[in-house]
Amino acid sequence: MLAIQNARLFSEIAEKSRELAEASQHKSQFLANMSHELRTPLNAILGYTELMADGAYGEPSEKMLGILKRLEANGRHLLGLINDVLDLSKIEAGQLVLELSEYSVQDIAQTARSTLEPLAADKKLAFKVEMAAELPPGRGDGRRLTQVLINLVGNAIKFTDTGEVAIKAEANNGSFYISVQDTGPGISAADQAKLFQEFQQADNAITRKKGGTGLGLAISKRIIEMHGGKIWVESQPGQGSTFTFTLPVIVERQVEAA
Amino acid sequence: MSKRILVVEDQPDNRQIIRDMLAGTDYEITEAEDGEQALAAVAKQRPDLILMGIQLPIMDGYEVTRRIKATPATRSIPIIAVTSHALDGEEQTARAAGCDGYVPEPYSPRQLLAKIEQCMPQ
Repeated sequence: MLAIQNARLFSEIAEKSRELAEASQHKSQFLANMSHELRTPLNAILGYTELMADGAYGEPSEKMLGILKRLEANGRHLLGLINDVLDLSKIEAGQLVLELSEYSVQDIAQTARSTLEPLAADKKLAFKVEMAAELPPGRGDGRRLTQVLINLVGNAIKFTDTGEVAIKAEANNGSFYISVQDTGPGISAADQAKLFQEFQQADNAITRKKGGTGLGLAISKRIIEMHGGKIWVESQPGQGSTFTFTLPVIVERQVEAA
Repeated sequence: MSKRILVVEDQPDNRQIIRDMLAGTDYEITEAEDGEQALAAVAKQRPDLILMGIQLPIMDGYEVTRRIKATPATRSIPIIAVTSHALDGEEQTARAAGCDGYVPEPYSPRQLLAKIEQCMPQ
């Protein structure tokens, strides 16, 4: 009797796990399709815009060039939003897989610098990179870690109107400590608690004024946790902010979400 | 003689963008809207380079690439994959299929043109 019940339970469990695997497969296919469906029209918008700015359809006037720049900036912004939403969906669906290989913290900082220094220059902010001498080579997903650093530095520039942003990195006891310091307005203790949650910026009015999905820090947190690390902020209103993440220098295996 | 580029792409806007992008250059373009047209065009006029859209009706661009690369007469034609599937690992998929270059959408026409010039046999 018991044996029959057990057999039935086993087959029910097998059936359920097959259904789960199938659902996850569908979700993954859906994400791939969405990514394709959203990028295709965006490619046309950004492509025509660039060709027009380059004079492929006749020499544009100064005024038109200004508008084409805005068109491109908005298209790029939309692309950023699409990427963020897809990243987060992938993480939620358990589909984000780290590609673990050797990386250098110097290279990551250099990529963040070359990507964002022009934005800092536009706002007349100093951009500093302070690396400890002889950082060891790391093992992890260099591309995803670059994404995290770019997100932090991008935020720092976005919210700082005078002064500087600085990237600092050191290694200690088998872990990297990488921080991004700014001289921006600072963040109250109450707002700090919400920062790393999805769709939460410290202030909704900020979302409207500064843009962004409010997803960047949530995604960064998940990426760092998948590396077995931690991310946090230290800040006081009026004193600037420092975002720091730490992770093992060598990550052999992705840490699954709790 | 001007070099010939075969553009395999099912989206009319993307074909238009590539056409406009190449208008000021010396390249000659042929277009194909799906995998079968692409294979027929390759057999007929042997292009110097192929821009291969990946999401195509009937047969995807990777399958078309595998067939072109499996044919000794056309194996050496460089193929640049142009794909909106910008997911992790897509570039490896493109390389494994035999593509010589990989450009994710949305691309900048300037950068795509640079990639063409880099891959074009002299």
